[in-house]
Amino acid sequence: MEKNHQPEKSSSFNEGDDDEKNSCADNTLQAAESPKCSNEEKSAAVEITEVEMEKPEEMKTGKTEIEEIEKPEEKEKEGGELGEPTPPPEIKYTLETASEDIERFLSNLSTPTEEEVEAGLEIPEFIEKYLDLVEEKITKHESLDTKVKGCQLPEDDASFLKAVDQISKMYKNLSAVFKLDSNQGPLINRIGRIQQGAMSNLEDEFRSLLEEPRFVEPEQKQEVADQCPIPGQDQSAESNEESNLPGHSQEVLANLNKIAKEMISGGHESECCEVYMITRRNVMEETLNKLGFEKISIDEVQKMQLEALEREIPPWIKAFKQCANVYFSAERKLAETIFSDYPSLSGSLFSNLTRGMFIQLLNFAEAVAISKRSTEKLFKFLDMYETLRDSLSAIESVFPEECAKELRAETTTARSRIGETAICIFCDLENSIKSDTGKTPVPGGAVHPLTRYTMNYLKYACDEYKDTLEQVFKEHSKIERADSTSRPRNYEGDSENYNNDEENHSPFSGQLMRIMDLLDSILETKSKLYKDVSLSCIFMMNNGRYMLQKIKGSAEIHQAMGDTWCRKRSSYLRNYHRNYQRETWTKLLGCLSNEGLNVNGKVVKPVLKEKFKSFNAMFDEIHKTQSSWVVYDKQLQSELRVSISAVVIPAYRSFLGRFSGYLDSGRQTEKYIKFQPDDIETYIDELFDGNPASMARRKT
Amino acid sequence: MESSNDGLASHEVELESFQRQVADRFHHLASVPSDELLSLPWVRKLLDVFLCCQEEFRIILFNNKAQVMKPPMDRLIADFYERTVKALDVCNAIRDGIEQIRQWLKLLEIVLCALGDSNVTNNTYNNNNNNNNCYQRTLGEGQFRRAKKALIDLAIGMLDEKDSSQSLAHRNRSFGRNNNSSSHSKDHHHRSLGHFRSLSWSVSRSWSAARQLQAIGNNLAVPRGNEVVVTNGLAMPVYTMGCVLMFVMWALVAAIPCQDRGLQVHFYVPRQFSWATPILSLHERIMEESKKRDRKNACGLLREIYQMEKCSRLLGELADSVQFPLSEEKEREVRQRVKELGQVCNAMKEGLEPLERQVREVFHRIVHSRTEGLNSLGRHNSE
Repeated sequence: MEKNHQPEKSSSFNEGDDDEKNSCADNTLQAAESPKCSNEEKSAAVEITEVEMEKPEEMKTGKTEIEEIEKPEEKEKEGGELGEPTPPPEIKYTLETASEDIERFLSNLSTPTEEEVEAGLEIPEFIEKYLDLVEEKITKHESLDTKVKGCQLPEDDASFLKAVDQISKMYKNLSAVFKLDSNQGPLINRIGRIQQGAMSNLEDEFRSLLEEPRFVEPEQKQEVADQCPIPGQDQSAESNEESNLPGHSQEVLANLNKIAKEMISGGHESECCEVYMITRRNVMEETLNKLGFEKISIDEVQKMQLEALEREIPPWIKAFKQCANVYFSAERKLAETIFSDYPSLSGSLFSNLTRGMFIQLLNFAEAVAISKRSTEKLFKFLDMYETLRDSLSAIESVFPEECAKELRAETTTARSRIGETAICIFCDLENSIKSDTGKTPVPGGAVHPLTRYTMNYLKYACDEYKDTLEQVFKEHSKIERADSTSRPRNYEGDSENYNNDEENHSPFSGQLMRIMDLLDSILETKSKLYKDVSLSCIFMMNNGRYMLQKIKGSAEIHQAMGDTWCRKRSSYLRNYHRNYQRETWTKLLGCLSNEGLNVNGKVVKPVLKEKFKSFNAMFDEIHKTQSSWVVYDKQLQSELRVSISAVVIPAYRSFLGRFSGYLDSGRQTEKYIKFQPDDIETYIDELFDGNPASMARRKT
Repeated sequence: MESSNDGLASHEVELESFQRQVADRFHHLASVPSDELLSLPWVRKLLDVFLCCQEEFRIILFNNKAQVMKPPMDRLIADFYERTVKALDVCNAIRDGIEQIRQWLKLLEIVLCALGDSNVTNNTYNNNNNNNNCYQRTLGEGQFRRAKKALIDLAIGMLDEKDSSQSLAHRNRSFGRNNNSSSHSKDHHHRSLGHFRSLSWSVSRSWSAARQLQAIGNNLAVPRGNEVVVTNGLAMPVYTMGCVLMFVMWALVAAIPCQDRGLQVHFYVPRQFSWATPILSLHERIMEESKKRDRKNACGLLREIYQMEKCSRLLGELADSVQFPLSEEKEREVRQRVKELGQVCNAMKEGLEPLERQVREVFHRIVHSRTEGLNSLGRHNSE
C-alpha cells in the first residue's frame, strides 16, 4: 500500500511538469512578465531568489536550500513513470505555476506602501484557485502514513514546505491589509484556516519525524527501508549509529530543520518548541532507562540493603558519565541542528530539557549520601565523588552560561555531601575499631583479625583512592569547619598533637595516623588479655610488624604516613622486643648466674646441680610454650631467633665451659647437662612456629 | 548552683520561644483571606515559615547536643530525621509538578499567541525573533482552531491522573470537536495524553504522594509526660517540628500537582499546643477547598491553577460557541477573556520560578540537617 505512494507522487509530478510548460505558454500575462518561464523549471529558482532579494536573510537561505534538494527529483522521473500509469490529465493550472504567480503577487504586495494597497490593491482571481491547490496538497500530504513521510522523496516535502511558506507569507501580508470584516474577509479567513491547517500538519510531521528513531527497531529498519527505496538510505541509517545523534538520518535532520524554520516563521514557535520538548523528554527518559538507571525515590534508597544499594551505584556512574560526556552534547547538537537559525532558542530548549534530568541524577547522589553509613560503602562513595568531580568541566562546557551556573552549584553541593559523608565513613573506621571488644586472645599471639581488616582496608583505600581521599579531606573537612556546627574532629590540630615534630601533615595523613594510633591502643588493651607478658610482647610485635609491612608494601600509604612515622614505629616495636627478651630470656639466664656457686672459692655442687636443673626445666618450658607461638613474618621470626641465640648461647656455652667439669662424667653429666649449645640453637630455631611440643617428639 | 539555674531557665525560655514562634508564624499564615489561601504567594510564605522553623529547631538541637545523644532523645531525633527524608521525595515530586505547570503555561502561550495581541505574549523560550510571530489582527477561524487545539491539550494535561478516560472523553466533547474533521487530530491527542503522563523525572511510576504523606505522619505522637521530663523538654520541639513538616508537605501536595495526590491523611494535633489552632484551621480550610464541587477533580488546589483552568475553560466554551465571521461583540468578549488569561499566566509565571527555587532550598536544608545529624551521631559513637 505505502509502496504505491511514491511512484504515484512522482509520476503525477511529472504530469504536472508537462502541464506546467503548457500552461506557461497559455498564460499570456505570465509570459509577458516573465519570459524566463518557458525555460527549464530551474528558472523558477532563479526568479524566486531574485524576488526574495528584499526579504530577510533567513528566508533567502531557506529558499536556496529547498531548490538544491529539488534537483535530485529529476533522477526519479523515469522510475516514476513506469510505476504508475494513471495520471490526472485534466489539471491545467498546477500548484507549481500558481505558486509562481503568487510569488509575484506577494512581491508586488510587499513593495507598495500600505496606503497604496488599501486604495487600490486587487486580489487576483488565481488566489482562490491557488488556495484550492494548496488545500489539496495539504490533504494529500496529511493522508500519507506518518512512517513513510519521514523517508519521502525530498522533492515532495520541499514542495509542500514551499507551499506552506507561501501561504504563511500570504496570510501575514494580506491579513495586515484586509480586515476580516472587509469585503475580503472570507478570503482572509480562508487563508488563515489553511495556514493553521498547514501548521498543524507540520507540527504532526515534526513530531513523527522526531519520534522516528523510537519506532525503528533493528529488525524493523529493513522494513522501513524497503518501503521507501531511496538510494543511500541504508547507508545513512548505518552512519547514524556511529554519529552522536542517535537515530536521526541527515535527511530527517534536514527536514526537521526546515519544518522548524517554517513553523517559527509562520508564527508557531510555541507549538514547535512544545512538541520538541515533550518528544525529546520521552526519548531521554528511555535513554536513561537503557543505561540501566532507574528512578528510585530517596525514601527507597534509605530502605535498601547495602548490597542492593551498591548494585545501583555502578549504573548511576555509567549513566552520569554518559550523560555528561556523550548524551548532553549530542542533545545540544540535535537542538542546534534542528534550530540552527535560532541559537538562543536551541540553547534554552536544551537547558530546559536536560536540567531536570540532570538534577534527578544528582538527587540519587544526595539520597546515597544520607543513607545509612557503613565502612564498606566508602569506595563506592569515592567512585561517585570522582564521577561528580570529573564530569564537572564537561557539564560546564555543554550548558549555556545561566544554566551551567545553577548546575555547577548543584553538582558541587552533591559532591560536597558525598565528600563529607566519605569523611565520616572513614572516621567511622575508628568506631568499628573501638567496638571490637572481644575478650578472646588470638592464639599464639598472632596478628589480630582487626589489624588485618583495618590495614587491608587502609591499604586498599590508599592504593586506589589516595589522591581523592586527600582532596576530600582537604576540601570537605574545611567546609565543615567553616560552618563550625559539626565537625567530627579538627584534623590539623590532631595531627599536630600526634606528631608536632613532623613536617606538616595533610588532613588525610593526620586521620590515617589517628587510626593507627587508635589501633595501637586497642591492640595494647588486647595484649593485656594474655597472662604471659612475653606473649603480649610477641602479640604486639606481630601486629606492629604487620602494620609496618603493609605500610612499607604500598608506596601510596607509605607516602601518606611518611618516613618519620615509620622510623618511630620501628623503634616503638624494638621496645617490645627488648621487653620480650627481658621477660623470657633474662630470667632464663638468671639460672646461669654465679650467685651462690662459689663459697670460699669452691663450687657448691648441689647449687650447681640445682642451676642446671632449673635451666633445663625453664628452657624446656620456654621451648614448649613458645614454639607454639606464632610469628608469621619470617624476618621478624629470624630476628627474634638470632637475638635470642646471641644472648643465650654464649652465656650457656661459657657457663657450661666453666662448670661442666665439676659434674661427674657419665650419669651425672647426662642427668644435668641435657642441652649442648648446638641443641639450644636448634631449639631456638623451633620457636614461634606454631607447632607445640616438638621437643618431646624429638627426644623420643 | 546559680549558674546552673540560669542555664535551666534559659533552656526553658528557648523551648518556649520556639513554640511561640511556630504559633505566631502559623497564625500569620492562617490570617490569610480565603481568596488568597493556596495562592502562589501564600505557598511561598508557607515554605518560608518551614525554613525558619527548621532553622530554629536546628539551633535548639545544636545547643543541646549532649541531650540529643542520650536515649530516648536519640530515638526521637532519628524518627524525626526519617520523616524529613521522606519529605525529600515530596519536594522532588513537587518540582516535577511545577515543571508540569510550566508545560501548561506553554500551551496557554499558544492560546494567547493565537487569540491575543502580540504584546500579551511573552515567550518563555526567550526567542528574540518572536516579535513578528504573532500578528495583530482580527480573529478568524484559523486562530480559533489553533487556540482550541492548545486548550484541548491543556485540558488533557490538567486531568488528574486518577481521572478515567471517561472524563477525558467528556472534556473532549465539551470542546465540541465535531467541527474539526481532520483525522489526525484524534491521533495527535492520544499521543499527547501519553506525553503528559511521563513528565515526572524524580519518582517511579508506583510512587504515591498520598502514601508518602502517610509515611511522614506515621507514629507522629504527642510525647508522653515522662519522655518530656527525661529529655529535658526537648521531645516537645521534636514533635512540633514533625507536625510542621507534616502539615507543610501536606499543603504542598494539596496545592501542586503531583503523582497520586491524596489529602485524606490522618492529621491530629491536640489543641493544647499554641500552634495547633492555626494549623488545624488551615487544614480544615484546605480540606473544604478540596471538597468544593468545581475543585474536586482538580490536579492541584493552587489558586492560580484554578484560575488558569477556569479562564481556559471559559475561553474554550466561548471558542466553541462562536460563528464566523465573528461579531464585534463576540470578538470583544474573546479579547476580554484572553486578557484575563494573560494576567493569570503572568502571575503564574512570575511566582513559579521563586517557588521552584524555594522547594529546592527546602530539599537542600533537609539533606543538610540530615547529614549533620548523621555526622554528630557518628561522632557521638566515636567518643
